Amino acid sequence: MEYRLKVDDTIIPVEVKKAETNTMTLSFDGKARNVQYSRISDNQIHLIIDGVGTQAFIAGDGDEKTVILRGVPYEVRDADLSRQTRRGKRGPSAMPREVTPPTPSIVVRILVAEGDRVNKGDAVIVVTAMKMETTLTAPFDGTVTKINVVEGDKVMPGQILADIEKDEEEPTEEQDGLADS
Amino acid sequence: MFKKILVANRGEIARRIMNTCREMGIKTVALYSDADRDAVHVLEADQALCLGDAEPAASYLNIDKIIAAARETGADAIHPGYGFLAENADFAERCEQEGLVFIGPPSRVISELGDKTIARQTMTKSGVPVIPGMNHPESDPEVLVREADAIGYPVLIKAAAGGGGKGMRVVASADELHDACISASSEAAGAFGNGSIYLEKYLTRPRHIEFQILADSHGNVVHLLERECSIQRRHQKIIEETPSPAMTPELRKKMGDAAIAAAQASGYVNAGTVEFLLDEDGSFYFLEVNTRLQVEHPITEMTTGIDIVRCQLEIAAGNPLSIDQKDIKGRGHAIECRIYAEDPGNDFFPSPGKIVFMKEPSGPGIRNDCGIYSGFQVPVEYDPILSKLIVAAENREEAVHRMIEALREYVILGVRTPIPFLIDVLRSEAFRKGETFTDFIGCHFPDWKPERADVETAAIAYIIDELAGKKERPVADNRGGGYGSPWQTLGNWRP
Repeated sequence: MEYRLKVDDTIIPVEVKKAETNTMTLSFDGKARNVQYSRISDNQIHLIIDGVGTQAFIAGDGDEKTVILRGVPYEVRDADLSRQTRRGKRGPSAMPREVTPPTPSIVVRILVAEGDRVNKGDAVIVVTAMKMETTLTAPFDGTVTKINVVEGDKVMPGQILADIEKDEEEPTEEQDGLADS
Repeated sequence: MFKKILVANRGEIARRIMNTCREMGIKTVALYSDADRDAVHVLEADQALCLGDAEPAASYLNIDKIIAAARETGADAIHPGYGFLAENADFAERCEQEGLVFIGPPSRVISELGDKTIARQTMTKSGVPVIPGMNHPESDPEVLVREADAIGYPVLIKAAAGGGGKGMRVVASADELHDACISASSEAAGAFGNGSIYLEKYLTRPRHIEFQILADSHGNVVHLLERECSIQRRHQKIIEETPSPAMTPELRKKMGDAAIAAAQASGYVNAGTVEFLLDEDGSFYFLEVNTRLQVEHPITEMTTGIDIVRCQLEIAAGNPLSIDQKDIKGRGHAIECRIYAEDPGNDFFPSPGKIVFMKEPSGPGIRNDCGIYSGFQVPVEYDPILSKLIVAAENREEAVHRMIEALREYVILGVRTPIPFLIDVLRSEAFRKGETFTDFIGCHFPDWKPERADVETAAIAYIIDELAGKKERPVADNRGGGYGSPWQTLGNWRP
């Protein structure tokens, strides 16, 4: 039986060969590793891997867990489950297709009005999180059809702050999960 | 001495101030906004009053509400911490008018040092070296072009009312100056309500070195040695240390004397920080005076053994300094790392959220000034600082090792933190060699990503977390009450 885990962009197949109480043998690419473990709390596990002790700190559920090992966080996902769970979790560097904040934020300024024409890249709404302002821009050329927030609103990633109707052109298909294939 | 102090701040700094108050037998009053009902400073205060809406203007920046809270609770003094109203001359003046002691310098001093061009004039008159540049704000582009030619490019545009990098622009040549002045002035107007700008020579590779000063109301001034704070991102310090790796006894004497001269020239009273830039050729220039308790004050406390907040209270109560300059000796080496809720792998973008789990490092020479706990929701309204991890050891090398291990032991789950980035900075050869300049991050870590060397262990931890069950939720109907065997609780298996 095996897991296919994904750490960053690397797929790691892991075969669980043998599991007993508090002991497991796991195989990575044919290399077997003996693991003794003890759960200390919901977020803390003590591991003895091939005789060497270490601690892992973990948060998250089956779809995606953050594992911290000696100060370094690893995002570990189940590669078979992750395809449909990756929407709206991109950082601000990803190309947005909607006017939505990258982190929980507060709306500071609304720079457009309903009916306004916008070009791709135009500033639409400014939000602030922890004293840092971020300008959300129009993802494509179009017309602002609706503003869904007012200044001072608390907003979350994934929440659409302004609806923009895209200019007529070749219809392109929404490509969810593109980066995970 | 005061009977009751109101702390007009939040989080780790409010907690740190209240710790000293308690040691001195002084009662404490905390203030909080709707977003901070469960914040650490509220939990530990003798009394706590809600100011209302989370928005800073309605809470931590609302002078009327804070004064009313001091009246209501019978506090005799207000400590402003850092940020918020700490350098607001109007607030200090209002306290003075209301008969409340503002724990900080007189409002006139805050006001005069807050205007960067007036501060430059004061320092120039007293023989404190300032960065070559203008001593008056200017709005006429023609005049600015002439001034820039006289100073020599590159020049730095700065806001007269400046701070935090707002309104600052580096200009490399004359044809960029006009547009840069307009945008800097507009940014400064937005941030400070004052669009005045001036020009300084831009130093390309300085170190940021500052001196902690203490001045009492009887005319005594001492300095508590230097701190180097060159490691910065977005003009904000993230690692500070004392002593500076660039310091020599002769330079320390010269800069320390200049810091004291700066304090005396401005009529300074209470704790403050005189900031300098140290150029590669060994010349140093006055930058500004921070008229408040500084974020990084703990490293000075660690090496001098002096509680700076206690000194602030003694000074504010009118007592003379109990220490002479000759008594002040730094012992060993101290480093502070600021732990913000931010993503170092994504341009230090803020990362608010709930602290799912945390474990603080401990051991000899480790101090964590911490504003969070497991279960705390980090508000989006305020500064992203979660805690300040400080270590002290006999020398710089040992302090660096101690800090690296303390960072590795520091677990915060639920928000992103710069911990892995800080570890890499401290491990880097440039840092080890003390080659710390203000361009350090851009120069050595321009596009940092964490080095994930132990992917297999992370995978093992994931699988065991899936299979081992949760401690607080025993698996139902499990024989003997232990954890379910992997075969009973199996999750996403591929047969």
